[in-house]
Amino acid sequence: MSGQAAIRIEQLGKRFGAGPLVLDDVNLSIESGEFVCLLGASGCGKSTLLNLIAGLDRPTTGAIDVPAEGAAVMFQESALMPWLTARQNVELALRLRGVARTARRAEALELLDTVNLADAAEKRPHELSGGMRQRVALARALAQDRPVLLMDEPFAALDAITRDLLHEELERVWRRTGRTIVFVTHNVREAARLGQRVVLLSSRPGRVAGEWRIAETSGRRIESPEVAALSIEITEQLRKEIRRNAA
Amino acid sequence: MPHDDIAGRGTQDPTAGRVATKERTETPAADPASSGLDTLAGARYSTNEADDLRSLEAGLDRLQTDDARGTNAWRTFTTSVLPPIIFVVVLIAAWQVYVWIVQPRPDIVPSPISVVTAISDAWQSDRLQTAVLTSLERGVFGFLIAVVVGTPLGLLLAEVKPLRRAIGPIISGLQVLPSVAWVPAAILWFGLTDATVYFVVLMGATPSIINGLISGVEQVPPQLRRVGTVLGAGPARLATLVVLPAALPGYVAGLKQGWAFSWRSLMAAEIIATGGTIGFGLGSMLDQSRELADLAGVLATILVILAIGILIELVFFAPLERRMLRRRGLLQGGTK
Repeated sequence: MSGQAAIRIEQLGKRFGAGPLVLDDVNLSIESGEFVCLLGASGCGKSTLLNLIAGLDRPTTGAIDVPAEGAAVMFQESALMPWLTARQNVELALRLRGVARTARRAEALELLDTVNLADAAEKRPHELSGGMRQRVALARALAQDRPVLLMDEPFAALDAITRDLLHEELERVWRRTGRTIVFVTHNVREAARLGQRVVLLSSRPGRVAGEWRIAETSGRRIESPEVAALSIEITEQLRKEIRRNAA
Repeated sequence: MPHDDIAGRGTQDPTAGRVATKERTETPAADPASSGLDTLAGARYSTNEADDLRSLEAGLDRLQTDDARGTNAWRTFTTSVLPPIIFVVVLIAAWQVYVWIVQPRPDIVPSPISVVTAISDAWQSDRLQTAVLTSLERGVFGFLIAVVVGTPLGLLLAEVKPLRRAIGPIISGLQVLPSVAWVPAAILWFGLTDATVYFVVLMGATPSIINGLISGVEQVPPQLRRVGTVLGAGPARLATLVVLPAALPGYVAGLKQGWAFSWRSLMAAEIIATGGTIGFGLGSMLDQSRELADLAGVLATILVILAIGILIELVFFAPLERRMLRRRGLLQGGTK
């Protein structure tokens, strides 16, 4: 895939107030339509980096180029509006995007169908399981119709079976919609399972400590041998980075 | 049975995936061609897998969600309606039995029957209807004024932090102040007019409504605001589409308390401020019965005041609150 860069990060640095440097000299170029996993231990500033890309925060030094349309964001907690049904939650995103009232309903149902939730459209968040809520959140993020989708550990709170299914779901949605996805996780296997590229961030301060490109991305499963092999390799590097903090 | 289903697919799928991988690695091709093949294979892969995934997900969704149990009307009746009714009936029976056995002076302990007679007398002389209508009209109208005054004030205080720091504690303090304390001042300001009554009701109810709204807004989870911002809502739409609906439970709780304070303040004002152009309300009726040393009439009026308070709560606020909480999953079943 050789598109132009969708996100370009140059010599990015971030510190909060007078605190320590959270991100230091991060350089990253993410191509349009690419699926990148940002991986790192706690305190590596993954979420900070994501917030910077999302425009929820400003960098201290350096520059970030993102598409003018901005990015959709999905968080660890689904953060659905509890007083709205699944469909209305998606419709809210459409409404804030400026979609005409008459077109919202059909489009929301279509988006819910994309994540296999057409039957649950009239249910409220508390009637849905954790995995279903995250799928509604995914449909809502898709409703924003932004070229970039940022995901901040969206499946961290789910059980293994559900997470496994959602990996497949996300991969399918990615192939179908051609979105650029930046997926933050602290789960090595998840990164090796999902990404076309895995970017390892070191901790305190966060720097790019390693990169792996995966040539063959279709047909991967969490239990596939190639995923396991890559996980071992990444884990080795990750542990090296963590050990540096002991000194 | 559904577990078997998942396990079966789980062991089946990886092999399918691996076969697909092998197929593609075996076809040696130049880069552009392989990318074309890739999309073709990808398309085939996704239609096959999509159906599989769909059924798998549907199965898991069914396993992970309970079908909502319908509320049983009879159960609701026996668990939440019947107990208080039984209690009241027993109380009245005990009272009547006490009067029969001890035979106290009727001007100190009237029997339930004489209280009921007092109510029906008041009804026949039209005093009861006039009093109830006058009081209800004032209570409801005063409460609505308090809502109209309190809601924008509450919103302003909730959203403007410096203002809240300055005024918030005073509003909380006002909530503690018994609104009867305003009656003398109101009489001096407005004389014996309806304005006095409305002023006291307003001072009683507004702090509760403001405080309810502030605490409702404070309890809005920060991630909902964040999502609103991410979805592209500006300050105005964030307030109307996210913050206000999210703050509704606190607001309704404040309204409910505000009504209780309105009703209490109204009775206090009506008992103290009688005469002038102030009409005949339940409080005035209570005071009149006291002057005539008519204890049965006093008790009858107290019961009517209590009944109206409970009735408004049961008919208006309780269903509103229950419906809102159930929609948000904050109330399970409804019978607990």
